[in-house]
Amino acid sequence: MNWIRTRRARSGFVALAVVAFGLLATGAGSSVAAESRTGGTLTIGLAEDPDALDPTLARTFVGRMVFLHMCEKLYDLNGRLQITPQLAAGMPTLSGDKRRMTIRIRRGVRFNDGTPLNARAVKVSLDRHRTLAGSARASEISPITSVDVVGNYTVRLNLNARFSPLTAQLADRAGMIMSPKQLDALGARFASNPVCVGPFKFTSRTAGDRIVLDKSQFYYARNKVKLNRIVFRIITDTSARAANLRAHDINVLDRIASTDLPAIQRDRSLRVLKATSIGYQGISINIGNKNGIGKPFVNVGTPLASRRALRQAFELSLDRRVINRVVFGGTVLPGCLPVPPASPYYDARIKCPGRNLSRARSLIRSTGMSTPVHVRLMIGTDQVAARLGQVIQSMARDAGFQVDLQPTEFVTALRRQDQGNYDAFAIGWSGRVDPDGNIYQFVHSKGSLNNLGWGSGRMDLLLDNARKAATLGARKTLYSAAFRVLRSELPLIYLYHPVNRHGVTANVKGVRLYGDGLIRAYFAEYK
Amino acid sequence: MGVFILRKLGAALIVVFLASVLVFGGVRAIPGDPALAYAAEDRDPEVLAAIRDKYGLDDPLPVQYVRWVGLAVQGDLGTDTRGLPVAETIVTRIPLTLELAGLAILIGTVLGIGAGVIAAVRRGKPSDYAATTVALLGLSVPHFWLGLLMILVFAVNLGWLPASGYVPFREDPVENLKHMLMPAIVLGAGLSAVLMRQMRSAMLESLGADYVRTARAKGLSEWTVVGKHALRNSLITVTTVIGLQLGALISGAVVTEQIFGIAGFGRLTVDSIAQRDYALLQGVVLVVAVGYVVVNLLVDVAYSLINPRIRVGGGST
Amino acid sequence: MSYVEATPLSARAHRRRILRRRFLRRPAAVASLVVVVGSILGAALAPSIAPYSPDATDFNALLAGPSREHLMGTDDLGRDTFSRVIWGARASIQAGFFATVLAMVIAVPIGLVAGYYRGWLDTVIARITDVLLAFPFLILAVGLAAIFGPSLLNATLALGIAAVPPLVRIARGEALALREEDYVRAAVANGANDAVIVGRHILPNMASTLLVQATLTIPAAIIGEAVLSFLGLGVQPPTPSWGVMLNAAQPYLNEAPSLAVYPGLAIVVVALAFNLLGDGLRDVFDPKTQR
Repeated sequence: MNWIRTRRARSGFVALAVVAFGLLATGAGSSVAAESRTGGTLTIGLAEDPDALDPTLARTFVGRMVFLHMCEKLYDLNGRLQITPQLAAGMPTLSGDKRRMTIRIRRGVRFNDGTPLNARAVKVSLDRHRTLAGSARASEISPITSVDVVGNYTVRLNLNARFSPLTAQLADRAGMIMSPKQLDALGARFASNPVCVGPFKFTSRTAGDRIVLDKSQFYYARNKVKLNRIVFRIITDTSARAANLRAHDINVLDRIASTDLPAIQRDRSLRVLKATSIGYQGISINIGNKNGIGKPFVNVGTPLASRRALRQAFELSLDRRVINRVVFGGTVLPGCLPVPPASPYYDARIKCPGRNLSRARSLIRSTGMSTPVHVRLMIGTDQVAARLGQVIQSMARDAGFQVDLQPTEFVTALRRQDQGNYDAFAIGWSGRVDPDGNIYQFVHSKGSLNNLGWGSGRMDLLLDNARKAATLGARKTLYSAAFRVLRSELPLIYLYHPVNRHGVTANVKGVRLYGDGLIRAYFAEYK
Repeated sequence: MGVFILRKLGAALIVVFLASVLVFGGVRAIPGDPALAYAAEDRDPEVLAAIRDKYGLDDPLPVQYVRWVGLAVQGDLGTDTRGLPVAETIVTRIPLTLELAGLAILIGTVLGIGAGVIAAVRRGKPSDYAATTVALLGLSVPHFWLGLLMILVFAVNLGWLPASGYVPFREDPVENLKHMLMPAIVLGAGLSAVLMRQMRSAMLESLGADYVRTARAKGLSEWTVVGKHALRNSLITVTTVIGLQLGALISGAVVTEQIFGIAGFGRLTVDSIAQRDYALLQGVVLVVAVGYVVVNLLVDVAYSLINPRIRVGGGST
Repeated sequence: MSYVEATPLSARAHRRRILRRRFLRRPAAVASLVVVVGSILGAALAPSIAPYSPDATDFNALLAGPSREHLMGTDDLGRDTFSRVIWGARASIQAGFFATVLAMVIAVPIGLVAGYYRGWLDTVIARITDVLLAFPFLILAVGLAAIFGPSLLNATLALGIAAVPPLVRIARGEALALREEDYVRAAVANGANDAVIVGRHILPNMASTLLVQATLTIPAAIIGEAVLSFLGLGVQPPTPSWGVMLNAAQPYLNEAPSLAVYPGLAIVVVALAFNLLGDGLRDVFDPKTQR
């Protein structure tokens, strides 16, 4: 009886195995599913799993990519990164004292649950952004003290100070309006089934695997939407992601690694979209963060912290072009300012220094320090970080620096940075449209992310004034002056601006990419 | 039999309780504030405090533990950093994880037993050497490496199989198997090598045993002797080996899932450690612990079914 | 030296000679011993064998093919792959060796105590071993790396701890069997204390089994190190190990597949040699298993 059971089980095994190997042998071709011209499913491979799909709580870059397809905002960006109305009917109007901002709302717009968008809905969402516990938006729109419903389709934001970057914030997640009905139903669990205004509506999400959106029947411009479904698949391994695109298992690839780029460029069935990021990558140097973030600055006494000349020497030992070529296969944009050249606030008159070993050595000599000068550089644990760290190490060695690499897992690195338990850290910033978002938090002495423990009265004044200044010209002058302070003090050595490259299969058109590096596929279609 | 199972069940409950304490403590032994992981670029003291408050991270540990267990026994494992219910995430991942493990065990068993039996029966002949060498090679090749090469060959160059991902079996069985084949082979390769070696020596021992000699003497065909007597007794070894290889299987699954972009338990675990996603990590490890206990129970029962004479207990070697 | 032959051989020396003769009759085992010794020597003498320093970069010779200057070409940072493979042997073999030593030091006493004294202690140890056997070592390694930071030391610790449970089982089984042997019973009857019995009778007689087990644990740990380094949890750059090299090679699979070939081959050859050596030793010590 036992034997019979075993034999039955075994023949079952054998049958399954035969099926499995039959599949392997025949290969069963067709990995590219034939899609019809209208409709169809677009699959986008994301590099990371987004966090909560709740506009109030969300913090990740990839999350913004998903939101773009299902949660529209009061304002949007166009291809030149200018702010344009989206759910608002026009640009905001400011009162004479700049303390009240009036926004008119588009009429005839419905949320993806069929309920109408109106001023009350806008107030509910903005109030939630401002006040919900754990809100990631609260600090972005902190100058808003209250929101008034002035008419059915008009809201007024009352501000406690002039705040130029506010409209830009309303063009990101802080400007996303959620369905009040769904907020009532789900409350803090809104992320499990988010409902906004958007070309696509949320259908399902499997943690770590995929997010599925379907075409909305309520979207005001639904005739522009051709696809029936967008699937975001999370594929964290870069090589696997590239292999998927080359096999046409995904249609759009979020961020091609430089090492995968040649193969993708050679492939005639694929296109590459690129946009320079609005962020930067660099080396943060711990200067006065001795007792943790937010505590009074006390110089930590390491060579780089105590001598400005050594920071300059360190920068001069590095060759940004070689970093670009060796680490990134020539795919990034070398730079030495917190904003990329595409930004209207970029100052082309500030030139980045090239590599100059003799000057670097003489700067070191001028400090009287004996070589090698020790530098502990914290880096991430991924392969790109390892390459970057080793190249920096190798170049700095030529000038007389001995760089010890400290590969550190991401959350631990953040903790060490906040505690002040690091000498230098190769890290970047994903970037914000307004230059304030790339500078203030890091180098203003009251900045919430000032891990450097560095500040200067002049810098604080420049940045505070730039927040209040109304015209582009005035702000540009102030930021230029701030850049010059950064260049001479070097608390943060900016190295390069990433260039985001996304792969798209050639049978898809209408996938757009702006300077913010986000994939916009809502109006895409199959050729 | 009933008493035996009851006793095992009691022991299992204790193991699960200990595992829950261990998981809870272990997760919190990892340095790095989950609020920090969650806030990342947006961290400032107020935001961090709000997040800690929301997830009750400032409460005393016993309070947090009792709250977690209290909800867990009702089937509520909390919400992860994505705002999704952990229990739901785990339930959707179980079929995938089980399918991958099941297929890997299937492939490993079929290959391992087959090669082991052939090697034992044809001992000293070329096919024995071939099987033994391949098995040794299987032990000496890093499996992630095998996976990378397979992707290059079968997905990128030949285009026969998808490079990564997962399609639920209910949606499309054929696609499902195509996606699962490479990961299952990679994961099953190590198991088959171990099994082959164990099977070979177990078979050799059985073939030399008195009862097999008696069977031969009775004039039974070689096939019957091998199949009915030797193989059956060697299967006990196989059951043990599979039980012992469970840990290796889970470790292997982490790497395999990483390479093939499958969001099974392995990747959920590693990702949630990186994200300090306490709720998800606790939930996954707890479910794995329970799963392990259940599998062990089943193995014990299987033991006594395959060979009731064997007394389950100390398990001497 | 010939007069040595004339003296009566002690039993131990005699056995040693038989074992040596048996070993030498196995070409695979001899060849694998040569490879094992060679790789250990290579690792130890890396500074004088390797033509270049393992972290000497040449940014003008990236991903170069094999040439007279660079036997195996250069890697993504223009470093000599041949030199890095030799230096890489250090970390890989160190991890394999020390993880095994660590596992032995922990496992053997525990197994001995369990097998020799039996009773409730044995039951408890056996149960715990069973549970630990099923514990995925990778999860432990990921946790260790998160707590203490990724490094060769922590990877070695994780690998060593992971190897403890199976070794406990084996040591326990041996002790269990040996304590029933006549000479042990005789020693017990003569009133020898436990330490003497274990130290003089049981441990030496387990040695061959443990040696075989060690040669099988080392390759597993070498591969384990590669897996951990592949996940970024092991040896950290710029120190080369074969796993680190494979990890760094992964993004270049399309452009420069050879980057991954050499360290991969090194792992396979050395692991295979250790495994063959272990198999060979087992046959030598225990001729019953081979027919």
